[in-house]
Amino acid sequence: MFRLQGSKVLAVDMTGDAVKAKNGSMVAYDGQMAFKKLSGGGEGLRGMVTRRITGEQMTVMEVKGHGTCWFADRATEINLVALQGDKLYVEASNLLATDAGLRTGTTFTGVRGASQGNGLFTTTVEGHGQAAITSDGPAVVLRVSPQYPLTVDPGAYVAHQGNLRQSFQSGVTFRTLMGEGGGEAFQIRFEGDGLVYVQPSERTTIAGDV
Amino acid sequence: MSTYATPGAGPVVHDPATLPADDNVNAYTFCVELKGSQWFLQKGKMIAYYGSIDFNGIGHGPLDRLVRTSFHSPLHASDWVVAEGSGKMLLADRAFDVNSFDLDDGNLTIRSGNLLAFQPSLALKQSIVPGFLTLIGTGKFVAASNGPVVFMEPPIRVDPQALVGWADCPSPCHHYDHGYMTGVLGGLRALTGIGGASGEEHQFEFAGAGTVLLQSTEQLMAEQAVGALPQQAGVPGGGTSGGHGSQAGTPRLPGQLGDLQRRFGL
Repeated sequence: MFRLQGSKVLAVDMTGDAVKAKNGSMVAYDGQMAFKKLSGGGEGLRGMVTRRITGEQMTVMEVKGHGTCWFADRATEINLVALQGDKLYVEASNLLATDAGLRTGTTFTGVRGASQGNGLFTTTVEGHGQAAITSDGPAVVLRVSPQYPLTVDPGAYVAHQGNLRQSFQSGVTFRTLMGEGGGEAFQIRFEGDGLVYVQPSERTTIAGDV
Repeated sequence: MSTYATPGAGPVVHDPATLPADDNVNAYTFCVELKGSQWFLQKGKMIAYYGSIDFNGIGHGPLDRLVRTSFHSPLHASDWVVAEGSGKMLLADRAFDVNSFDLDDGNLTIRSGNLLAFQPSLALKQSIVPGFLTLIGTGKFVAASNGPVVFMEPPIRVDPQALVGWADCPSPCHHYDHGYMTGVLGGLRALTGIGGASGEEHQFEFAGAGTVLLQSTEQLMAEQAVGALPQQAGVPGGGTSGGHGSQAGTPRLPGQLGDLQRRFGL
């Protein structure tokens, strides 16, 4: 029931069911819709406290009704992700909408987040259904399999799903400190089996200049 | 084999076998295949790679020979790295359009911020025009532009913000519209904008045989300070940062027009 209208607008057809979407991302709807702000992303009191503590804040609304509702966020590209019981890891700022049936939560990502300026935590989405994530420019989806591990620039990383281990690689050497670095001092390496979404643009990270 | 196939639905999933070799993945992402070879690459434009690839600054010792033959721009040395190894590497820049171009024993001059990567069979030199780089030789390079690149034939006058680069054109120069020259009023109008300036009075003019590359918007990449050329007689921009031989001791104010204001006694 999620479909893209163009590449920057998400249309959701609803028949009495609900979706969770980033607060304020509705651009139009027809039919009957009710919008309700969900404090703490519908994750209950514990989730709310966790989000507050981890800085992975997300303001979410629940949209429920009959008809079609359109969502968009600052003209960023929207990518649909189908989840079949697996887990999607995404930055809260890149998550546009999810089926109401999907559970969202926060998880610890380790040092990667810190180098990205996004904090040490990331948002997880799991269950069966669809999610829409945003990226600056259309995201490239890259498969990781045991024989083909993937290395990603933290600034271009958007999301990943599947059974992946991520390790943080730092190539900082004395040459970096001398201003002779390779320009790609911080990298995330993904191993296992799954998909990684990267955007053709780099957020400004502390790693950008070393 | 993998459980994360999404047949029919959702986006295309790429893996090392389906990624193109030295071609565009989509309009905004370019894939470079390395097989033990080397590519020059502007810092921070790599977004992901498969395989094992090393990134080393231009000053890295073992690269001396390579740098000696294909990198002749000390001002930009700190912005460039060499990627070396085997695998496939994705390049992108701020979600701008990226395209690869082939030079066959040719030369091309490009705005320094727009050049993303090039093969070492090309030699990179600084253009006499400040802020531009020239590639000479045979090989492939990757450039970014805001919107698709348009190719034009000289003689042509282009807007300074839309210019990406040019190939084989011998004489790029500034062109000022007639209104700039007519009397004190024209000069005042151009300086202050009072009385209506269209914003298009100043263009770059190209003459001779060649190709001019334009982008389809007037949004530029942020210009990076790369330092100044050595102060030397006859070097345009030498010792000053980007100006054209301004009078020593009189700092140029923003909005001033070359040395034209001298004609009006301003």
